[in-house]
Amino acid sequence: VVASLRQHTNNQERQNFNLSFHAHRAGILDTVDAQKIAFLLRKAWTLYSVTPLFRFHRARLTEYARLLSAFIAAEKRKGLAVEVGVELDIKVALTSLADLRGSELDQAALLVQLSSRSQASSRNSEDKLVWSGWFCSMFGDDFSENVLEDFTCLPLFLSHGAESYTTLVGSWFQKTFDCCFRRLAISPLNLSWMVAMWAGCKLDRAASAVELVFSVPCLSQPLDISYAIHPEDAKALWDTVQKTPGEITQEEVDVFMDCLYAHFHRHFKIHLSATKLVKVSTAVASAHCDGIVKILHSQYLPGVLMLLTELAISQIQ
Amino acid sequence: MDETVAEYIRRTVLKIPRDEIKMLLQKWGFLSEAQLQTLNFHQIKDNISQEVVQLCEENSADIKQAAVLDIIYNHAYQNKRMWHVYQMKKSGEDLEYFDITDFKKAFKGRLRSALKNVTITFKEYEDNAIWIRVAWGTPNKKPNQYKPSYVVYHSQTPYVFISTSVLKSTLPLLCQALMVASNYHDIREMELRSHSLNSLKDIVFKRYSQNFQTHSPKPVKGGNVEPEKDIRIVEENKSEKERIHRLNQEVFGSGPLPKLEFAQYRLETMFKSDPKMDVLDKKEPFRCLVKFSSPHLLESLKSLAPAGMADAPLSPLLTCIPHKARNYFKIREKKGLFPEGFVSP
Repeated sequence: VVASLRQHTNNQERQNFNLSFHAHRAGILDTVDAQKIAFLLRKAWTLYSVTPLFRFHRARLTEYARLLSAFIAAEKRKGLAVEVGVELDIKVALTSLADLRGSELDQAALLVQLSSRSQASSRNSEDKLVWSGWFCSMFGDDFSENVLEDFTCLPLFLSHGAESYTTLVGSWFQKTFDCCFRRLAISPLNLSWMVAMWAGCKLDRAASAVELVFSVPCLSQPLDISYAIHPEDAKALWDTVQKTPGEITQEEVDVFMDCLYAHFHRHFKIHLSATKLVKVSTAVASAHCDGIVKILHSQYLPGVLMLLTELAISQIQ
Repeated sequence: MDETVAEYIRRTVLKIPRDEIKMLLQKWGFLSEAQLQTLNFHQIKDNISQEVVQLCEENSADIKQAAVLDIIYNHAYQNKRMWHVYQMKKSGEDLEYFDITDFKKAFKGRLRSALKNVTITFKEYEDNAIWIRVAWGTPNKKPNQYKPSYVVYHSQTPYVFISTSVLKSTLPLLCQALMVASNYHDIREMELRSHSLNSLKDIVFKRYSQNFQTHSPKPVKGGNVEPEKDIRIVEENKSEKERIHRLNQEVFGSGPLPKLEFAQYRLETMFKSDPKMDVLDKKEPFRCLVKFSSPHLLESLKSLAPAGMADAPLSPLLTCIPHKARNYFKIREKKGLFPEGFVSP
């Protein structure tokens, strides 16, 4: 089941999502070989929103890779070394992933990989992947529609690896294509959407628990609360809440969360709604409020990416 | 000196923060004060530990002395380990005279009769605590000194604190040896675990200030309320704040609370909702696992109601932790007259 979010108001402060999901929106990614997307799964990706790239040309990927590689080498010589001690030669690879997109209107995803080969080791040694990042647009048509010709829309960026490399790659892209990267935080509101939607997903294998993590920092001693529900029971609850066919509403998400809060309050007399929801975790995916996600199941990959693309777009607008 | 002993001493010293090395070596007492004077503590730890090993070589240290150093390290940094609490039961009421020598002999005897290769070390501390370190081997292998079990036994009590080796199969034998040596016939694990050994002791020995009932009929003035400086400022909900404060005092006491880091609840209760909401109405339990964690759990729970995040009084499921001496719970629905109540088996 693929869902799409449409922003109710433009106000950045008060995001009020009115979710409607269509019957599964047929996309290019659905038919992709599981092998190709295996690299996405089970990794913690840090999320960013990226404004459109100016004068980015797919045909020039090899040239861009060379330029980025030179940039990284130059920065290291300046003393902004990323690895202390061992001298590493960083190799850059830029790949276009034609199948990693929602529709024909989306730009194909762009994968950036940094590999190292230690100078000390022999010529035959394999390169070691030290950092990867990819730009993506999953059904981001609303956004790309309104954009001028010279611009390429890939609003979602995901990185995995040392932050120092992310900074290097990000600065090069910003300088070269006049774009802007911003960390994508995920609000408690969006996290509750995610947990409600993902808890309702049907999975063929035994699933892991539906877990919500709350943080209460401003006490005399900080407190963390982990509330994990058996996946069958969480799904059973969501199935009775989610009544409108073909649609998920804010109200239904609220009812689902209120039920969980009420069950908790009955036992512990604590108002979870007064605490901060910082992380949600299900068998489909997990997400942290600092903008870190892990996608665990290839079946729901398009849906998750679509949701994240929407979040990125709303941060840009 | 055996190479493995040298390596073990070297690695043990490496674990100690540089500023603490001299003090722990002094506590150990194996190296003379004169020898300690020759050590240069202003170099990198790698070199310090090498020098210590050389001095131990001069004194011909063996595994027994090295094991004592390990106990001293673990006693100083006891909070690095996770401690489980066990309670032993006696068959009769008779209070037997505890003889430490008999205890040690019986303990060693029981272990050695089952396992040839064990290293057993004892150290007594002032608070009547006996620290026992056991390194486990097999009939064919020498004891693994890097995965020992630690036991802390207070002889005047039925309580034992165990930080197990990762070699889980050794636990039953360890328990047996304890029972035999201390003359108890049964031992069971309590649902109480923490890194803070002292807090566990506070809880089972009831060393913290417990609930006290205020018998005085007049209300206790909220201790946290500041006297108003400006009469134009009126504090809202003053009586509510005072009520919460008073309830907190009754439940948690006013003294320092034992330091626990977490509490875990396995819930197998029914999901109940407002019938108007027309949601889940299963006849089976709504299975959840709830974990609370904090650097000082009881203090943070105590501050929830004053912060407006919880009702006062707080749920007995949370407030019972110290006096029930447990932080692991399994909660089921109570059948019969009181559907709102819970039982904790």
